Parts: sequence; structure tokens; C-alpha cells
Amino acid sequence: MVAVFEARHVSKNFGPVQALNDVSISIRTSEVHAIIGENGAGKSTLMNIFCGKLKPSFGELFRNGQPVEFHTPTDSQNAGITIAPQEVNLVPRLTVAENILLGAHLCVSGVIDWSATRQKAVKCLHEIDDTIDPDIKVDRLNKAQQQLVQIARAVATSARILIFDEPTAALTNRETEKLYSFVRRFRDEGGSVFYISHRLDEILSLSDRITVLQDGKSIGQLEPKATTKEEMINMMAGRKVQGTHKPRPYVERREIVLRAQGLTRAGEFSDISFELHKGEILGIAGLIGAGRTELGRCLFGVTQADTGKIDMFGETVSIRHPSDAIAKGFVYLPEERKAEGIFPLLSITENMALPSYSRLRSLFGLRFGEIATEVADYANKLRIKLGSVNDPITSLSGGNQQKVILARWLMLGVKVLILDEPTRGIDVNAKFEIQSMLKGLCEKGLSIIYISSELLEVLEVSDRILVMHEGRIKGVQRADQATQESLLQQAMS
Amino acid sequence: MPNQRAVISTPLTPTSRLGRFRQWEASGVVFALVVLCVLLSVATPNFFSLTNVPIVLRNASFVGLVALGQTLVLLVGGIDLSVGAIAGLSAIIGALMLTVLGIHPYAVIPLTCLFGLGLGFANAVFVAKLRLNPFIVTLASGEIFAGANLVITQGYPIRPLGSNFRFFGQGEVFGIPAPVIVFFGAGIILWWMLTKTRFGRNIYAVGGNRDAALLVGIRVWRVEFAVYGLAGAFAALSGILYASRMDAAQPSVGEGWMLSAITAAIIGGTSLRGGEGTILGTIFGALLLTVLQNGTVLLNVSGYWQRLIVGSVVLVAILVDLLRRK
Repeated sequence: MVAVFEARHVSKNFGPVQALNDVSISIRTSEVHAIIGENGAGKSTLMNIFCGKLKPSFGELFRNGQPVEFHTPTDSQNAGITIAPQEVNLVPRLTVAENILLGAHLCVSGVIDWSATRQKAVKCLHEIDDTIDPDIKVDRLNKAQQQLVQIARAVATSARILIFDEPTAALTNRETEKLYSFVRRFRDEGGSVFYISHRLDEILSLSDRITVLQDGKSIGQLEPKATTKEEMINMMAGRKVQGTHKPRPYVERREIVLRAQGLTRAGEFSDISFELHKGEILGIAGLIGAGRTELGRCLFGVTQADTGKIDMFGETVSIRHPSDAIAKGFVYLPEERKAEGIFPLLSITENMALPSYSRLRSLFGLRFGEIATEVADYANKLRIKLGSVNDPITSLSGGNQQKVILARWLMLGVKVLILDEPTRGIDVNAKFEIQSMLKGLCEKGLSIIYISSELLEVLEVSDRILVMHEGRIKGVQRADQATQESLLQQAMS
Repeated sequence: MPNQRAVISTPLTPTSRLGRFRQWEASGVVFALVVLCVLLSVATPNFFSLTNVPIVLRNASFVGLVALGQTLVLLVGGIDLSVGAIAGLSAIIGALMLTVLGIHPYAVIPLTCLFGLGLGFANAVFVAKLRLNPFIVTLASGEIFAGANLVITQGYPIRPLGSNFRFFGQGEVFGIPAPVIVFFGAGIILWWMLTKTRFGRNIYAVGGNRDAALLVGIRVWRVEFAVYGLAGAFAALSGILYASRMDAAQPSVGEGWMLSAITAAIIGGTSLRGGEGTILGTIFGALLLTVLQNGTVLLNVSGYWQRLIVGSVVLVAILVDLLRRK
């Protein structure tokens, strides 16, 4: 069968860095072609070439066998190729419908025909989801809904080749199912899909063909029906990685570090009571919108609970601001690493040491020598891959950025970490590395609350798992006795 | 954990001096200033004379002091459009302290700065506590301060301020004009504060990412209060020094300073989005603006051309900055 779109021997250099090296890849009609690889393997670069945002340094693109060149994203769209990007880029103060057809309003001699425009937008939206109000402003939607609107916008371009870049990263299980059924329907109607995802399960169930990228090279194709997750991970990593569900042996712990009693915050969560023991990883599972992030932020003092109290080490604490929580030795690592975790303009050193400055200063200012020593020390301990600690933090990959943020708090000597989706958007190897690091830290007496939407991840990491649903705690399960099914059942009941 | 070296790839920070200079936010303005100075000293023999250089430096000091405070505000991602009006109103209040209340000249300067600090705090209440847009708040408060100025003075200058007081604006120490010493002294202190202290680094943190700053436990509103307060204090200092120089508190003191202060900071590499900028850059920015003005006078260019030239320089500075980022 002839390829509807094909890239032959494509390479891309950014200065001395070779992001893509002689990659050839093609897609047929009625095909979902998954592309997997670690962060930095070149997936996004390749997709950016397909959608006209980047030009290849070498190599050619073919559409239906004819050579094509994309100078702008418009060229690519005219060729019927559209990307639904990973990062949501919608206009917050415009309605859902207008966002979907932004720049593609239906016009009658230059004047927008609003009713026809809205009608078309609603039709595209319903391809994906029929619960979102098309007339609501986008900033009123939650992240998952915004992601769906973003996808609907891609659908609205009537492209025959859709590129999905981590579409499910922000979605809950229910919305994910809607997306899957759209992808299958689109394929069955003759469409082609390039699908990038870190979720290997969905790739196995959704795709017709898998291409593995490693360090900018295409190192092989896999048949979804004939492969396993282990094989995919091994190929991506190029080395053996353990990745199956292996819960930690359960240990009874008695010393209570943190106790929440009847925490309630209107519209977010209600009557939350739990205990965190010393040296424990307490997972919090639940669908998006279950109130997990809100709970984490409230514990940390970003918001204030209406009622309820928090005890730390047996004494009731009043936390009005994150600095109060930090003074008590517990911190929250936000879900949105880029938006709330890092200081993009500052160096790695400053990103790590900023909260510790009050300890590392004298009358004459900050003690930079000591700061440098400590930062180098933690960079080594956490095996952060960096060029120089004075480089901007944005020069690091997501996994290494997350390690810098972890080091930030270890340096300060905190006792409790609240982690919100700590491994989102981080490649498989860095993920295992961070997780085993966290387990090691708990052996040394740190306690962790681990919020994650990936059930498997919660199962692998935690000692006990708190399941939340619509702002309430539905139950607590021991990780060695729980399964994905048992968690999901509780989370959806 | 195995003892593995973390450092593996090559650093991105250039190690050569030239490379580091090019990356520096203020490299464009320093380059422009040097070129301009060379051109002017070739074109007019008077430019590098012992009479002209102190004049340039003194003129740079008044706007420069305001620009230093403005830089702090810009660094946290804010903007203060009321600094010019604060300078004017503070000069009047300072002059009244001197003439009506008979306060000792040496006490008037710090008291006026305190007054400016208070006006800055007033701005901060709206910006930091009520989270209103700083552009709108300071636009309004600037009008109020300027209006109060006119109500108090009825448009007439307060003069004379007395020979004891003139030193701060007119005096010299070892041939260096007093305002220049204040300006450079303030610059050194602020440079130290921004680069070497926790408070200074917190300013960059808040401006670079306000949400993240909150989540690392920085009390963001305190930083903002301090910064708007300092901007007010520096504007007041500049205003009262200018009054001392003129031996009169004119109601018009500070008119046009706000835009010049922002311009100096921006051509010095300070970003309007916050988190980026240096004190040294702002000092060079203020010098560049003044040298431009001085140069047009020395070259007998009509005053009408001045604004056109300044505007073009700002555009060029922004373009250079754009090239630097690439």
C-alpha cells in the first residue's frame, strides 16, 4: 500500500547538536503510527518538521508520493497535516467555540457568520466530547477539558493526518476513553495518526505500528500485537530496565509525622482525615478533579482550609502561607513544573539553593563558596546530568529539572515531601531513577505524600494508598494488597 | 548510590570574556555608549573636558537615581509610573520641611526619602495586597501625587532653600559633584543587594516566576512592598537633590522623569516582563541618555531633534537585544 506521507533520510541539526539523524518514516491511510522514545529522542523535533515549524537540515518529505516542502505551518496544514500540541495554547478569554475555529472563522464576504461558525465548532467538539459547553470561556475549563478543546481545534482543520503529542498526559481515564474512540473512528474513516505518548499501555492498545526513536535515530519498528512493554522500554532505553509492578514489602510504621483531621475547603474537598507515618510513602490516587492537587496545596498553605486541623509531630500547626509549612519542615512540589516549579531565568545553582539562602548568608551577603559546594554535592548525589551549575535550569531535561527541585528541598532538610505528579513528562529511565531515589530517602526517615494519576506508578512507589473521589477519601489500601482494578473501583465508586 | 560524577556535558555558559560580554544584558548599551563617546570626542573637543564631564555625570544622576528604583520594580515584574510625581511632591514636602518647619538640612534628605518610601508603600498596598494592575494603580496615584503637588504649591516654586542646603545638589567632593557620589553610591549598594543578598535574589525569583516564588516560601507581597517603597524613596531622593541643585523646589520637578527612568532601565537590558536586568545596565542606560542629550547640545543640534534621536536609540537598543538573544 502506498504511503500517504513519508519522510526519507531526515536529519536536523541545532548547531552542534544532532537532534535527528537519518530518520525515515512513513504512514498509510487508516493507520495509527505510534512513535516512542525517551525525552530528547527527537520525537518532538520530527513532529515539528512534519507540521512545518522546523525545516529539516537534510532529507525529503513526500505527500502521496510527491515531494513537498513545508516552509510554514500553513504549508503543512494545506497538505492536510495538523498537530494537537502537548502544551495547551488556547485564548483563555474567548469561548470554546471561538477557540476551536480561531483563525478559521466561516465568513460571508469578509464578515463572520457566527451561527455557522458556532455550528461547525460544536460539531468538531462533539467528535471528542459532548459534555463541554461550547459557549463557556476557556479559562473556566479545567486542564483536561482544555486539552480536549485543543484536540477539537486540530480536528476542525479537517486534516487527513493528525499528530497527537502526548494527548492523554492531562486527561483522566474517562476522557482518555473518549479520545481513544475518536482516534479509532478517525482511523476507520481513512485518517492517519502519528501518536506520541509515554503511556505504553495505550500505545499497545491503540496503534497499528510502533517506531522507536533513540538519540535522534530510528532504531526499529515493533508490531503492537507481537511486542510487550518490557521490549518497548528496553528498546527505548537501549538497556535493561525493570518496569513491572513490584510493590514494596509492607512495613508497619507507627510514628506519626503528619495528621490531618476533617480538612474541608468548599468546592474542593471535604472531611479529609489521614495519617502519614515516618519513612512512609503515602500514595494519593484518584481521577483528575478528585481534589488531590487542591488538598496538597491546602496542606502547604497556598490556600486555607475552611475547617479541620493539621498536626505535625503531635502538635497542631497553623499554616497561613507556604513559608509556615516550610518552617515546619514540609513542602509541596507542584504538578506544573514549568509554571510553578522552576525559575526559568535563573541558574541551576539558584534554582536549587534559593530557599536555603537564609542559612547560607552572612552579614556581607550570601556565602557563594558554600552554596557552590552544597549544590555540587547534591548534583552528584542525585546524579543530575548538567554541563555547569551556572547554566540556566532550562538547559536541563524535565527529569533533571525535577531532580534539581528535589535537591532544593533536601538541601533545606525538609522532613515531609508532598509530590504532585512528580514524574509527569519525564522519560522512563529518569522516572525509575527518581522513584528509587525517593524510596531511598524514605529509608533515611523522610516521609512522602505521592500524588499521581497513573495507578501503576502509585502502586509501585507507595506503602499505602489513599483513594480520593470528588473531594472525599474513599478508602486506604495497602499497596502490596491493592491492584489497579481495586484502586480504580474505589476511585470511581 | 554509586559515586558517579554529575558533570558530563560541556557548560553552556561561555567561558571566554568576549562570549560572556555578549551574553550580558547590558552589552548593547555599553557598546553604544563607548561608540557615542568616541564619536563625540572626535566631533567636539569640549566633550571630554573637565567642565563638561561633571555636567554630564550630574545630569545623569537625577534621572539615574529614579531609574535605579524603577529597575527594582521592573525586576519583580511590575512598573511604577508615579516615580516622577513622587519626586516632584517629595521635593516640595522636603522644601517645606526646610523652610516652614526649619528642620536641619542634613535631616531633610533622609526625611524626604522616608516620605517617598511612604508614597511607594501606598502604591504597594494596591499592587501587592489587593493585586491590582501596577500600570493602572501607579498611573492613578501619579496623577494624585502630581495634583497634590499643585494644590500645595498653587504652581509657585518654593525658594530660596538656603545656602546650607545647596551643597547636596551643587557641592563637590574632590571635584566630583555630590549627586554623582550619591548616584554611584546608591548604585553600588543596590548592586550588592541584588547580587549578594537573599532579598536581592528573591526579587529575581519573584519577577522570574511569581507562582514558583510563592511555592518556595517567599512572602511575595513583602518583596513587592519593599521594591515599590524603595522606588518611591529613590525618586524622593532624586527630587530633593534636584531642588537643592536649583535652590528651589519647582512644582515641575520630576516631569518627564518617569519615561526617562523606564527608558534608561530598558536600554540597560532590564526586561519589562520581570526577572531580567542589572543595576550596572541601568547606570549605563542613564549615562547613555544623558550623553545623547549633551551631545546634541554640543553639536548645536536643534532641541527639536532630541526626542527623535532618543526614540531611535531606544529602538536600536531593543533590536540589539533581540540579536543578542538569538
